[in-house]
Amino acid sequence: MKAINDFVAQFNAGIPFDESHIVRNRNRYYLLSKKLKQHVPKGFFYAGAYLGAVKGASFFPSFLLLAMIAEGKANKLVVDKKTAWLFICGRDIFQQGILKGNNLKKGDYTLILNEHNECLGFGKIMHNLRGAPDANKVAVKNILDIGDFLRREKRQSSQQQRSSRLQGRDSKPRKPTRK
Amino acid sequence: MMSSKQFFVNRYKKLGWSYKQVKPKQAIRINTINSNRDTVVKRLESLGIVLEKIPFLEDGYWICKSKFSVGATAEYLLGLYSIQEAAAQIPATLFTELEDRTVLDACASPGGKTVQLANLMNNSDVIVALELKQRKMFALANQLERSRVTNTAVYNMDAKEATNLNIEFDCVLLDVPCSGNYVTDKGWFSKRTIEDVKRNARRQRQILTEAVKVTKDGGEIVYATCSLEPEENELNIDWAIGALNVEVEEINCHGEKALTTVFGKELDRSIEKCRRIWPNQTQGFFVCKLRKKA
Repeated sequence: MKAINDFVAQFNAGIPFDESHIVRNRNRYYLLSKKLKQHVPKGFFYAGAYLGAVKGASFFPSFLLLAMIAEGKANKLVVDKKTAWLFICGRDIFQQGILKGNNLKKGDYTLILNEHNECLGFGKIMHNLRGAPDANKVAVKNILDIGDFLRREKRQSSQQQRSSRLQGRDSKPRKPTRK
Repeated sequence: MMSSKQFFVNRYKKLGWSYKQVKPKQAIRINTINSNRDTVVKRLESLGIVLEKIPFLEDGYWICKSKFSVGATAEYLLGLYSIQEAAAQIPATLFTELEDRTVLDACASPGGKTVQLANLMNNSDVIVALELKQRKMFALANQLERSRVTNTAVYNMDAKEATNLNIEFDCVLLDVPCSGNYVTDKGWFSKRTIEDVKRNARRQRQILTEAVKVTKDGGEIVYATCSLEPEENELNIDWAIGALNVEVEEINCHGEKALTTVFGKELDRSIEKCRRIWPNQTQGFFVCKLRKKA
């Protein structure tokens, strides 16, 4: 749970749900409703609201978690239409694309919202946003954006191809090994 | 020797339908848990996408014109809509009541119907989704995360083993693995044989049998395939009426009455309550609702 708490705290926000409903399944965290918790047996692959996964020392949030944080008080930047699209394509944000939320300082983490207040991902502030914008300087470095849904499908299918090739290799009879 | 295509086309003719090549328009379904219909339609139209309301669906629209893939817009990535073939949007809408219900989606991947069920349940109560193939699990999970579904538990499990869950369901959606049809698969005729169809039909009967076991008395099972072959449709339902404790329920949806005479064999009259959709505006489809007798 610490991983989620630490992650959420980076946005100057608090966990927006009851922690007792969080369930860990291998390295992944899920938020289960009361009914799901009551009815659903263990051994699931995915359940309820997926919150994110821990890999080593890092926490990789889900977009559901980011949207939940964005509903409350947190570091947020609202960007214009063009900037929103470029951000989804994996690009960083320049100051002239920011419409709202200029109080953040260098090193802060912030959620990125479009004009409809929908969370598109998050990034890291690269320099204090107060003051005159420098057109050539990246204001927010893209860390995660919803374009990842498309990119991860490609990643996962190539991983699957690799693993099925390996399985093909593994399916050959092996010599017994002595312990 | 008769080609595979000729063989199947002749069968369709015997069933009273003349084969034709069709190319249905791509369809989307608005995810009402994340936005409302009018807002999403306006947003898509502002991107230059031309939409047409699908007359027989509440939340379905055909894509008449789009300069880019509708699977790569911000609105899609935000889960405001899903890409789902028009006929495939029918089965989930056929349950009498989904509020306060425990629902099984027995063959869930890629998750279009699971998300639709979650929408119809307003993302509350419980859906259990099963998928046998490990390689399809991530696509299903991605679909649920993107669409912000939070009432579903997914298991890597064969629908034929659903009793292992020890849950009794009010509603069961059986979008069973089937032979498919030529509309969505260009090489269908050269790939498929009647033996494939019969093998799939046997597997579907096993899944149906298991589904009845996990359904509460009086509960509903919606059975659907995108196959045109009667072995996977009317003949399976005819078998189920005799072998399982179920009866066919009346449904009111797009499609024509299912066949009650197949290649000279007379089937149970109640099968005409099922719906058969021959390819035209949509792909080929078959759907029916069964009720487990108390």
